[in-house]
Amino acid sequence: MSTIALHDEHNHDHADHGHHKETLISKYIFSMDHKMIAKQFLITGIIMAVIAMGLSILFRIQLAWPDQNFPFLETFLGKWAEGGRIKPDFYLALVTIHGTIMVFFVLTAGLSGTFSNLLIPLQVGARDMASPFLNMLSYWFFFMACVIMMSSFFIQTGPASGGWTVYPPLSVVAKAMPGSGLGMTLWLISMVLFVASSLMGGINYVSTILNMRTKGMDLWKMPLTIWAFFLTAILGILSFPVLVAGVVLMVFDRSFGTSFYLSDIVMGTDILPNEGGSPILWQHLFWFLGHPEVYIVIMPALGISSEVISVNARKPIFGYHAMVYSLIGITVLSFIVWGHHMFVTGMNPLLGGVFMITTLIIAVPSAVKTFNYLATLWRGNIRFTPAMLFAIGLVSFFISGGLTGIFLGNASLDINLHDTYFVVAHFHLVMGSAAIFGMLAGVYHWFPRMFGRMMNAKLGYLHFWLTFIAAYLVFFPLHFLGLDGVPRRYYAFTEFEFMKKWLTVNVFVTWAAIMAALAQVAFLFNFFYSIFKGKVAPQNPWESNTLEWTAPVEHLHGNWPGEIPTVYRWPYDYSKPGHDADFIPQTVPFSQTMSSNLPHDFEGNEEAEKIQQEWELANPVTENKG
Amino acid sequence: MQDTFDPKPRKFIVWLFVVSSTIMFGGFTSYYLVFAASKGKGHGLVLPDAFIYSSLVIVASSITLVLASRALKKLNFSLQRNMLWITVILAVAFGVMQFNAWGSMVRTGATLVGNNAAISFIYVVSGMHLLHIIAGVGLIISALAGSYKSLPVAKVQYRMEIASIFWHFIDILWIYLYVFLLLNR
Repeated sequence: MSTIALHDEHNHDHADHGHHKETLISKYIFSMDHKMIAKQFLITGIIMAVIAMGLSILFRIQLAWPDQNFPFLETFLGKWAEGGRIKPDFYLALVTIHGTIMVFFVLTAGLSGTFSNLLIPLQVGARDMASPFLNMLSYWFFFMACVIMMSSFFIQTGPASGGWTVYPPLSVVAKAMPGSGLGMTLWLISMVLFVASSLMGGINYVSTILNMRTKGMDLWKMPLTIWAFFLTAILGILSFPVLVAGVVLMVFDRSFGTSFYLSDIVMGTDILPNEGGSPILWQHLFWFLGHPEVYIVIMPALGISSEVISVNARKPIFGYHAMVYSLIGITVLSFIVWGHHMFVTGMNPLLGGVFMITTLIIAVPSAVKTFNYLATLWRGNIRFTPAMLFAIGLVSFFISGGLTGIFLGNASLDINLHDTYFVVAHFHLVMGSAAIFGMLAGVYHWFPRMFGRMMNAKLGYLHFWLTFIAAYLVFFPLHFLGLDGVPRRYYAFTEFEFMKKWLTVNVFVTWAAIMAALAQVAFLFNFFYSIFKGKVAPQNPWESNTLEWTAPVEHLHGNWPGEIPTVYRWPYDYSKPGHDADFIPQTVPFSQTMSSNLPHDFEGNEEAEKIQQEWELANPVTENKG
Repeated sequence: MQDTFDPKPRKFIVWLFVVSSTIMFGGFTSYYLVFAASKGKGHGLVLPDAFIYSSLVIVASSITLVLASRALKKLNFSLQRNMLWITVILAVAFGVMQFNAWGSMVRTGATLVGNNAAISFIYVVSGMHLLHIIAGVGLIISALAGSYKSLPVAKVQYRMEIASIFWHFIDILWIYLYVFLLLNR
């Protein structure tokens, strides 16, 4: 880092850092400041989330009323909804792009990109990321990926429509269906940019956490948010490159006529020349990324909720070390479970058994985390802020969605449940809703840190309750469709006798989805209104211990004027017996909290222990410390 | 060393890139292993001699790069630049030989597009590796430019170290790929 720029004239005396002029472009567009990049990721993520939600409402309308015409659809979608009815090809494109945007653009980039960027330098005590330039590049690659993905809605043949997992041959044979043509090519280009973006981001996060922590911030004093972002970034670094390998082979198959994934394909009366490849190999490469990917989605949300729950329960997080070890356990296990997506591909039953065991073992660290959340809430002095409600909502979804994971992880049960709505219900609860709730908890909690203003709490409560109830109303009934064998991705339930009885349920689910979508208006209004007109935030609105709340509210490049604060203690000293306030920030040394120090605070430092003992002898306890 | 220039976190970034690149080639080679195991056959070729020569050339380029680093430690800038130039020339020679190797494979009928994905695979991995070589040449040229522009020594050393980490990595990577292809015919 050669220069650190300040745009704040009050900080002239600032130690070793020079000035350089900030223009509109360098401040808001090509910014290299991690806080601004975080906001860029967040706002782009929110826009993509709104788009993906809109797509889901479109296909929900089709599922609920397959026989009715909606003229407004034709107005918006033109020939893709001729006569006001969504065409089957476009229906497939809708579910594909909905999944792609939600998994990658919202819950990977929008979630990690926002909160890793915002919180890593602020919570470990660094001036910025290891490489601010790569960080900027990471955002702009992500932005380009978004634009290219959306541009596929403006081409003749429409977007990719082979599902977000883009299994060959649909994704490889360009003539297979309209979405296999240019739309699929755009999907692949967008994805390559996206992977480049998340690698640049992830590499930066890991390097920053390992190399740039402030004085006193050893690994075991890091907040759980940082642990979660750290392990998430490692997951990304180790798994995304495998997707790149798979995508490169796919591009060769599509564009040059190789046969990595193709063999024995007949289209109509044409026999394709490709021989010897295997589509199963794509599934292996894809799910080697794809399974860690779902933990890339959920782990930052888990980290955020750990922090939010502890702050708002005014209690130390229960089992801090167990929380970290369970995150590490999830990280390691996530690499050896990908086969559970492929139980029905003709896998050797013995191998299926192995994948089943590793999959079920993931329930252990997940349960550790769940019980630790509940134990943290137990007898806490809970403050039900909107962020806290969303964090508790995450725990709820994580439990109810996680339980069905145990069903699906079972190789024999999966034969029945594979590719049914049971799977849809499972992952929309455990990684979809849970991760979105974690993200929203983060937005409500750190909004004051990002924009210097508070969000409206009443609108927050409205947003929470409507979304929470609607999410359960949408996804819970889908379990029963799945148990009845209703397959996912089917265009209309009217064509199959056994599916007809579920039509009324689909109508119900669609109304619930519309309610959930409308609830987001409360959030969007609250978010954008509060950026400009919200109540000005105090320095530390949630009375939190972590480092980001010690930095000045007005943003300055380099985060702290003068020295970066030193850290003396872990971040979870809430309601510590013997201390007058119910929180002790990490920057408060033990010498200022003699009345509340405990023997294990000194980590075996005998001199400090002696000083403490002497102080305790000189100041005998007269009242009940409680 | 200046007070404000800390190369450590950025060098770490290069190492992390090396890790992710290794994983990508791990993905490629595991594709090959699974493919070959399920078909009961690999590419079945006698690899072109040009691959042997290119392997020797890339090892030589690593040696000249080490010599450049040593020269820089002794602050012998002219020797450093000469060694870097030789490395660049060897890198270009490596690229030419790879194209030669592909040419001779095409002449024997083992083309990129065909019904043996294992043969296509040789083109894909050597091509992806060649992209890394291009990036590596970029880093060496940035080290050269740093040396010519007479930047502070710490920065010249930083650029040199980054180029070295990456270049030795792609050297070892090529040896790995070559041996892998030899052993898994």
